[in-house]
Amino acid sequence: MTLEIKELTGGYGQVSVLKKETFTVEDGQVVGLIGLNGAGKSTTIKHIIGLLTPRGGQILIDGMSLHDNVEAYRKKIAYVPEMPILYPELTLKEHIEMTIMAYGLDHDKTWENANELLKTFRLDNKLDWFPQNFSKGMKQKVMIVCAFMTNARLFIIDEPFTGLDPLAVNDLLNIVEAKKKSGCSVLMSTHVLATVQNHADKFVLLNHGQVRADGTLDQLKDKFDMKDANLDDIYIKMSNEDL
Amino acid sequence: MKELWKNRLRRHQIDQFKYLRLIFNDNFVLAFIVLIGALGFWYSNFLGTIKHELLLGKPVVILILFLIAQVGRIATLLEEPDSTFLLVKEKEFYQYFKSALNYSIALPVVAIVIVNFLLSPFAFTGAGLSIMDICLIAAGLVFFKLAFLNVEMFKIYGREQVSGMNLKLLLNIFLIVSLIISVYWFSPVILVVGLIAFVGAQINNKKICESGQMQWQQAISDENQRMFRVKRFYNLFTDVPGVNSKIKRRKWLDFVFNGIKPVQKNTYLYLFARGFVRNNEYIGLFMRLTIIQTIMLALIDNFYISLIVEMLFIYLVGFQLKPYFKEVMLNMMQRLYPVSGKDKVNDFTKLSVFVLCIQWVISAIAIFYKFGLSVNSLVIIVAGLAVLLFVGYFYMPRQLKKYLDNGAY
Repeated sequence: MTLEIKELTGGYGQVSVLKKETFTVEDGQVVGLIGLNGAGKSTTIKHIIGLLTPRGGQILIDGMSLHDNVEAYRKKIAYVPEMPILYPELTLKEHIEMTIMAYGLDHDKTWENANELLKTFRLDNKLDWFPQNFSKGMKQKVMIVCAFMTNARLFIIDEPFTGLDPLAVNDLLNIVEAKKKSGCSVLMSTHVLATVQNHADKFVLLNHGQVRADGTLDQLKDKFDMKDANLDDIYIKMSNEDL
Repeated sequence: MKELWKNRLRRHQIDQFKYLRLIFNDNFVLAFIVLIGALGFWYSNFLGTIKHELLLGKPVVILILFLIAQVGRIATLLEEPDSTFLLVKEKEFYQYFKSALNYSIALPVVAIVIVNFLLSPFAFTGAGLSIMDICLIAAGLVFFKLAFLNVEMFKIYGREQVSGMNLKLLLNIFLIVSLIISVYWFSPVILVVGLIAFVGAQINNKKICESGQMQWQQAISDENQRMFRVKRFYNLFTDVPGVNSKIKRRKWLDFVFNGIKPVQKNTYLYLFARGFVRNNEYIGLFMRLTIIQTIMLALIDNFYISLIVEMLFIYLVGFQLKPYFKEVMLNMMQRLYPVSGKDKVNDFTKLSVFVLCIQWVISAIAIFYKFGLSVNSLVIIVAGLAVLLFVGYFYMPRQLKKYLDNGAY
């Protein structure tokens, strides 16, 4: 699965948040999308999943745009939003059932996956709970379970590490690793640089709606001319460039 | 704090005014005026049939007056962020609540006066009360209501209990006892008891409140509940944003969902059906309208009015279900599901037709009860079916499709 973003321009209303943004996510790659608040991370994600329509440029998943085939495009993506969004009137179990129906998945096989995920996140005894009974972190876990039990090939996770307990963060990273091994791609936006530094293959540094730099940590070090730097140092250097 | 209250009140009134304007612009108000007219007509006819005091006259008066004294809460206009941003101002909130209390008096008092006024002819003939009795009881009720509002203010400060007894419950017991004494034997009793309760509460208000601790969480959730009830009422007539409603599991109704096959095109039927059953707002709306309709059909024996009631209420339920579709469509996740808009509309139409069919069958029973097996009842029932089919297969799909096409869903 490859995601290509070519010269993407767009945003909300008349304001262009993104200006000719270009990067790719290759087969089996985990990519970290990094930038300050307001740099355009979430906006980029909203364009990819099709909540916003680009003003210019292209977004292709395996060479196919949303416009070509809405349903096929959407089946390739699973998304975990920053703020969990659940249906207040469905129980946890019914959210899973509904996701199975919506994506037309195989019922029994998917439940097998789901059960494993539920157990991992210690939700397996809460199948009959309503969202109003869940804490924020638990809602986030529900979203993760619903996303990762699908057959999507591209997983988009918006700021996964805040709100989850350390154990859950670890579990999530293991799941991401497993998905990566099976050839799926993962794009995650985050501010938790230390974690993403160890778990992503590639980083896209956004600043003012543009890609300031992208590549592996070594490539970034070269670009910023900082030999022993870690992601944090590079990030701060990039932020200071404005001043 | 006074300023804060004034600001809030102004904003609140503008909001209320906006909704009231929307309601009174609506065509349905005309229909409701017809209904109120019909009820008034029925009431005056009914009064005409009363020649002497009824056996149930006094208990009915007591019940109605007791219920009307429960109407109206203190409108604190507290908002969620207050518990974070205004925590430091806690001491000064007393003045704020005082203003809130004063503001909240008007509506229940008006309600008590109007109900007493409307009830007076019946109380006079059916329950054998004199005009003097009725006036004294009304005044007593007003004082009781003032005492109730004071108690609600105590509750904000966590002082609604007196040595283990809930003050509101205690007051209600006093109310019902003095109502019974006043209606049956000696009417000034309620005025005296009410006055004592009110003066006692009013004088000690500050002392009691200051001895307590403000219960932010509780007060805010009470106010949210109150607002929700008001908005739900508006919601019967027009769309109100931000009405988020209570969810109940209702496991015993799960059998209803058995008919829904778990295939992709039923994805939304799966959701809609569960939402309808569990979301108090929608099932409540359906129940309220169906029950009112059934009662009216069972009481009114005028063919034309029954015809209008049957058709109007089926249309109303269909019409009022529409916001539920919109609510679900606002959930972002639904846009990501690989399900076509056509399936969503179809699924919602299926739910509406099912719901309306239930209503239609229930109303048909009421019609048969009133009109028997006659041409009249058949005409009414067929007219109801026609409205059902119109709403389900013509009006609803078109409206929903329009909604989907307009938004970029």
